Amino acid sequence: MTWEWVGERRAVASMAALAGLAFLASLLMGPNGFGLPAGERAFGIIFWEIRMPRALLGALVGAALGTSGAALQGYLRNPLAEPGLLGVTGGASLGAVIAIHSGAAGVFAAALPIGGLTGAALAATAVLMLAGASTGPLTLILAGVAMSSVAGALTALAVNLSPNPFASVEIVFWMLGSLSDRSLVHVWLAAPFILAGLVLLMQTARGLDALALGEEAAINLGTNLPAIRLMVVIGSALAVGAATAVAGAIGFVGLIVPHLLRPMVGFLPSRLMLASALAGAVLVLTADVVLRLLPTSVDIRLGVATAIIGAPFFLWLVLKTRRELLP
Amino acid sequence: MHVMRAKFAGALAAALAAVIAVALPASAEPARRIVSLNLCIDPIVLDLVPRERIQALSWVSSDPNVSPIVDRIEGIPLVRGSAEEVLALEPDLVLAGGFTTPATVDLLRRLGQRVEVIPMATRIEEVRTVIRAVAAAVGEPERGEAMVADFDRRLSTAQATGLHRPEALVYEANSIVSPPGSMEAAALKAAGFENAAERMDLRPGGRTDLETLVVSPPDLIVLNQRSATYRTPVADNLRHPALNHLLDERAHIYLPMPLWICGTPHVADAVAALASAREGLRK
Repeated sequence: MTWEWVGERRAVASMAALAGLAFLASLLMGPNGFGLPAGERAFGIIFWEIRMPRALLGALVGAALGTSGAALQGYLRNPLAEPGLLGVTGGASLGAVIAIHSGAAGVFAAALPIGGLTGAALAATAVLMLAGASTGPLTLILAGVAMSSVAGALTALAVNLSPNPFASVEIVFWMLGSLSDRSLVHVWLAAPFILAGLVLLMQTARGLDALALGEEAAINLGTNLPAIRLMVVIGSALAVGAATAVAGAIGFVGLIVPHLLRPMVGFLPSRLMLASALAGAVLVLTADVVLRLLPTSVDIRLGVATAIIGAPFFLWLVLKTRRELLP
Repeated sequence: MHVMRAKFAGALAAALAAVIAVALPASAEPARRIVSLNLCIDPIVLDLVPRERIQALSWVSSDPNVSPIVDRIEGIPLVRGSAEEVLALEPDLVLAGGFTTPATVDLLRRLGQRVEVIPMATRIEEVRTVIRAVAAAVGEPERGEAMVADFDRRLSTAQATGLHRPEALVYEANSIVSPPGSMEAAALKAAGFENAAERMDLRPGGRTDLETLVVSPPDLIVLNQRSATYRTPVADNLRHPALNHLLDERAHIYLPMPLWICGTPHVADAVAALASAREGLRK
């Protein structure tokens, strides 16, 4: 087991270094390639008001998605678990759309993240109740697909009923996922919820390790399973709900990150958590930088890009899981 | 939706304009029970014919975000545009826009309704074509010519004098600007501005980044007056602190969307407002 511990230290250190680099790259990346704006005043506004919020949000959103993915995979002991696939992101989108549509977000800015995390919490609870913690991976994914469909249908209904045509277009655009032109206001709106969610999820690490030995073993070790379950649900809802509310739906980050890290840190959930937070930040920040490097005629939104990379990865995982389940 | 429609209509609308303007039949008897299904036709009909000849206007005309005639349509029935709803009004003329679903138009025609499809303008000159097409359809060609003359007079009053053409840019939600070919761009040009969007490397849909605007701002920033009743993260670029810094030091005006979302004579009001902002820049 010691090599895994060393692996975790190494993974955390290297992911932290990569996250730092990606954060710097994001700060240096302008709409027309790398570079910092000339002139003290322009520099102050562009660096502090435009690029810094974008980089901060990229790091926060990535950490939220990566950690939530690691915690959900650990709690459900299911390699296919992920906030997007389990309908948590869909629930968050629906909650945020309701906050926008009802006008609440216009009156009271925090209604947006609160709507997002409420939707996320309801979706996560519903999926866990539908699937049950001890059933196989396929039931869980089915429950997630069902929840995503329900959330998607209700979101479409909200867009459909919108009395304002501009609001509909903006909602559709926002759901594609993006960090462009966000401000420190969005950072202040999302950061407290995301950080609270991350703290809660990190607290579950020890319990998830016990759970990896099986439910009975975990109970014998004195693990409070209902408490762990509640912390995973609330933690994911806070982190993913707030992240989705400000940045739109960015899927598959939570699926990919733990799988990339396991060869380095081994299979104990607790070793994955911090590394997943950092690797999530690396993934989202890097994707956001790379997308800005593309010519402007190819305008791909962040959530679309993660889906294009993530969906084939998911298919590959499904095939792999099927081979393991049906020898 | 309307922003998209207004902006990307371009070539198609122009082609339709050419074909349909020629194809419009002259009617012997002026229509007495007119139904308009399009936001961009409603204001023209309202000004061309007495109210008693208007059976219904489109439902969107009651939306203050897009309609310039909200306070003038009280008492006029509004329709959403389904064929059944239209038939129940027993109109003798249905005016449909270039974007009205072909299915509805075909169905109404098969049921014996007289339907005229009016082209949608995306350039200033096409506004005249639209006015004449509506006027011909409702049987008021003289009033149509008067409306065109009034439109031209208001436009020429706003026309730029002198060689100085400052730069302006329309900046909307989602960092959408006034891309070349749009009605906004045409209005900027007509008011004596260069369109700053022409020197920008725009993304599809006429989008740019707030950073591009901050780095090289135009002389005048044109903003749309927006509904305060909803807020989306995508439109928060209009509340961005970096934009507020810019607005503190740059000239800017708010131009209500209903004036120029459609190619109606109201575009002349938008051009006039822009022209007076240009005069203000010189002081």
